[in-house]
Amino acid sequence: MQSESRKYEEEETPSLHWGMDPVFFAFARLYIKDIKEMRESKQVPGIFFYNGHPVRQVDVVGMVVQMKERDAFYSYGVDDSTGVINCVCWKNPMVAETSSSGCPSTPSSLTVLEQMKKLQEMVSQKTKLAIGDVIRVRGQIRTYRQQREIRASCFYKVDDPVCNVQISRMLELPCLYREVYDKPFRGPGEGQSGLEGQTFAINVLHEKVKGFLLENKIQTFYQQELETIDMLVSLVVVHLPNLSCEEVKSKSNCSSKRIHGIFKQAIRILQEKGVVFQKPGSSEDLYHVTDHDKELLKVTLDVIKEDCKKPRHAEKGCHFLHILNCVRQSYNPSLTEVVMLRVLELLERNSDVVSTMEGYYMTF
Amino acid sequence: MLPSAGVYYFPWEINSSVPEGEALRTFGRLCCYDLARSEAVLIAQHSSAQYQVCVNTKFVEPFQAQLGSRYMVLGEAEHREGEGPVVKARILTCVEGMNVPLLEQAIQEQRKYQRERRRSWE
Repeated sequence: MQSESRKYEEEETPSLHWGMDPVFFAFARLYIKDIKEMRESKQVPGIFFYNGHPVRQVDVVGMVVQMKERDAFYSYGVDDSTGVINCVCWKNPMVAETSSSGCPSTPSSLTVLEQMKKLQEMVSQKTKLAIGDVIRVRGQIRTYRQQREIRASCFYKVDDPVCNVQISRMLELPCLYREVYDKPFRGPGEGQSGLEGQTFAINVLHEKVKGFLLENKIQTFYQQELETIDMLVSLVVVHLPNLSCEEVKSKSNCSSKRIHGIFKQAIRILQEKGVVFQKPGSSEDLYHVTDHDKELLKVTLDVIKEDCKKPRHAEKGCHFLHILNCVRQSYNPSLTEVVMLRVLELLERNSDVVSTMEGYYMTF
Repeated sequence: MLPSAGVYYFPWEINSSVPEGEALRTFGRLCCYDLARSEAVLIAQHSSAQYQVCVNTKFVEPFQAQLGSRYMVLGEAEHREGEGPVVKARILTCVEGMNVPLLEQAIQEQRKYQRERRRSWE
């Protein structure tokens, strides 16, 4: 633990990965003491680190122990029994301009005005606090004259006559800390084994490769060609631990082998999903993109067209396995079912074929 | 300048060992209030003994003293010669109806967590 907390003091997660930590998007319910002691990010001022978690905004409940009024805001000193912090709470402009000017006196507008007035009273009740009141504040942490303070994005007086709100928060925070904040956040690639990072890289990469192939209408490709595309390679590099860009550029044997392996596995996933396939007899590294293989689409469509003319298929259409058999015979004996299914789905989407019932297709 | 945080103390922990000027908060039933001397006394039961906390109310006056009701006090400890400490109240709130056992549990939980964390960070 000791070495770990030291580690966090020295290096912070790259900002690119902050979004993967749920704490980053939440209003962190931290002790005020921790809010005041957290280390500020070197990359982005205004972001703070608690135990490696990037914190952007916080949520506190405490007693108002000090109050200063300024033109535009109140500054409340809030005490949660661990620390005291200033909270800058902007005055509500709606409440300020209470006297409505020249109000029309139709009955309906009158009730609206009354409602508005009630609302304004409610708002001013909830937002005007005195010393001893319990307040809840949500907002961002700022440093003003070397003092940390919370710029409230939302604040209100908590009605807590028997301390239920404060007690339940006191009971809740230790659990929240143990379950969330004290568990270190590991960005991708920071995993101990590096295996997690690799699996993650493969998952991300296969989606990206799929998008790339479909968007660019690629019909065939070699794996080596994919490995020349910066967008895809950099994706792998980001997610792989202990792999620096210099290493990649210098084509260090070990790292390029790893990248090669990851591309291979990503392509294998795409094969399993029927997005790409290989043909026997062509080069080992050549892949065909199912959606853009015009020949395969044409052969499949012809098979269905021809066979639907035959009396025994005329009514129901051709069964999937029958089509698969025919296409295997005339086009590619090792064609897999998933590829065939993908082709049929594509033809159906284009209204070239119609599925008459589960597993049967026909043309008109 | 912001004051120090009012750390929770159980009423039976308020004795001569509390540092002078320590900001603290505690609770108890209001048993008497001397308006002339600005002094109130809170009492609390703990394992069959009764404990008293003296509170100086100068900063929170005027206040509606409801004898017998539960109060929460936040202030600074001030030692007097020959007597226990007085809590110079900055905030004194009536919390009649508060679930005291639950508050005690919450204070224990908070302390337990902070002890654990100190140990693991050392």
